[in-house]
Amino acid sequence: METFFNILISGILLGGIYSLVSIGLNLIFGVVRIVNFAQGEIVMLAMYATYFCTTYLGINPYIALFLVAPLMFLFGAAVQRIVLQPLQNEPMMQIFATFGLLILFENSVLALTRGEAHSLSGAYSSMVISLFGLKASGVRIVVFLAATGIAFALMFFLQNTMPGKAIRAVIQDRQSARLMGINVERTYLLTFGLGTALAGVAGALLTPIYTLSPYIGGNFILAAFAVVVLGGLGSVPGAYFGGLIVGLIESFSGYYVDPALKQAIWFIIFVAVLVVRPSGLMGQVGAEEVGLREQS
Amino acid sequence: MTTNAAPLAEADNARTRPTTLLSLVARYAGLLMLAFVPLIVMWNDPYWINILAYAYLFAALAGAWNVIGGFGGQFSLGHGVFFAIGAYTVARFYLDLGVTPWLAVFPAAALATVAAVLISWPTFRLRGPFFAIATMAINEVCFALANYTERMTGGPRGILIPFRAGFSNMIFAERWKYALLTFGFMCIVVLITVLLRRSRLGHYLLAIREDEDASRAAGIDVLKVKLVGMAVSAALTGIGGGIFAMYVRVLDPPTLFTLPDIGVKFALISLIGGIGTIMGPVVGALLIVPVENFLRGTIGGEIPGGHLIVLGIVFVCASLFLKRGIVGAFTEILHRIRNRTRP
Repeated sequence: METFFNILISGILLGGIYSLVSIGLNLIFGVVRIVNFAQGEIVMLAMYATYFCTTYLGINPYIALFLVAPLMFLFGAAVQRIVLQPLQNEPMMQIFATFGLLILFENSVLALTRGEAHSLSGAYSSMVISLFGLKASGVRIVVFLAATGIAFALMFFLQNTMPGKAIRAVIQDRQSARLMGINVERTYLLTFGLGTALAGVAGALLTPIYTLSPYIGGNFILAAFAVVVLGGLGSVPGAYFGGLIVGLIESFSGYYVDPALKQAIWFIIFVAVLVVRPSGLMGQVGAEEVGLREQS
Repeated sequence: MTTNAAPLAEADNARTRPTTLLSLVARYAGLLMLAFVPLIVMWNDPYWINILAYAYLFAALAGAWNVIGGFGGQFSLGHGVFFAIGAYTVARFYLDLGVTPWLAVFPAAALATVAAVLISWPTFRLRGPFFAIATMAINEVCFALANYTERMTGGPRGILIPFRAGFSNMIFAERWKYALLTFGFMCIVVLITVLLRRSRLGHYLLAIREDEDASRAAGIDVLKVKLVGMAVSAALTGIGGGIFAMYVRVLDPPTLFTLPDIGVKFALISLIGGIGTIMGPVVGALLIVPVENFLRGTIGGEIPGGHLIVLGIVFVCASLFLKRGIVGAFTEILHRIRNRTRP
């Protein structure tokens, strides 16, 4: 029984990581409708930025976050303006362009670091909280709490502020939104920047957990797409619970089936959900189609 | 949903100058002869002939992808699955049953086709980027399975095919023979795409790419046409995988499933050359593969990953400014010149 609960907890904490990484992509894919394969690399860049702040400037990674996230916002906004805005209605070219960006970011970091692995983990990851015989890593609990907090904050932002309402209007119908006087392009810029800033937050919080490598983005990107599609495009609770579901599936199938197959299992579930219910578990039915039709 | 691949200039050409099949084949045979020139020039240079063999093979594989990805507009990123099935099938038939690879490519093509139909039946419900993401996920599932099924694939250690040179083994000591083999395969793929492009199936695929709903309304059995297109594409990819297996002779899952090297590369080569054009994949591969190797030797030696930085920038720029690829841009220029001289 204790094993079961330990797996449950590790699954939830892993799910927290997936949720945190996916919330940003959910904005980018769900709202701006950009198929951003480079999102995992944005997380990777943020991790290196955090590592740099901590090692060379001596800033605590949890404080560096407040430096890294705005930086990633600007970076994301620049990428959106220069590369992705011209490709707004061409999902196929977006796939190519963001794959090009993926290769570019990955190898730029490889060139700068010369392939050496870096890690902050020692000091932070050793902190383990145990309660009633259940163990949980402190840094992962922080990630889980942050994912939960960000999900709530983002929901509040989308429900109650004018820019948030503009984003929701654009999700529902970008043409009508434009007719209502919403500056759709500026909403895209803001949303994309927000999405990359959230990836920056994720990167900063994950730096104490993972060993840094230029290829680490690959661990997140398909998981993030799976979570976003599973939860429902443009749905914040969808991304949050979708992440938890994927984390739990991975953790349980890793223990009860075979660790080598854990990813294969949730990929199959993901494809099955995609085929049966393309709008995702919490998405609006039809939401997966609307934004992808040609609208200008 | 439209892609940028529409070779409108090509269609206009066909209307103004009715071409017979024979003259069309002759035209492409001439272009392929041009692609043959580097093989003659460099047949004795093992370094470049090696790269050339790769380039021809990837031209063929990108051409195979182009059937469903370019003509059909279905952006599969999971072609690595068919490629790997072809490679493993040929290796298993050759090693366990002693079947010559020349014949083993047929079961390889058949198995790749079966896999393609099984994968595509459900995923063809999805459109555009959702189809791309789903096929990408399937590629990753198969990657994990290939690592897991040790008896079939040798697991993470892979399969090693011993070097026994001989025509019937499809293993050669001289590199130029491989280049000749992959060149021949490329010619077959180009011939098939020429025939396909003019066939009823080709027109159906193009119609579906331009507007799926309108095609359905016009009475095209959309799912069936897409499945047949995918089957042709997968069969050719499977054969390519088999040839690849006998060429590299070391098959492990990362070599066969890594997305930027295999599944996505077919699409990227087509993009550079011209998606939905017949010669696009050939032009793209003959450009990208040597350039990548050249850069790897020059910049890549100085800066790790330097050659891929350049390629990444090239891909981003191509998707922004060269959406119809080199062939598309070329036909457009040709078209403009022709219109100017004959108003």
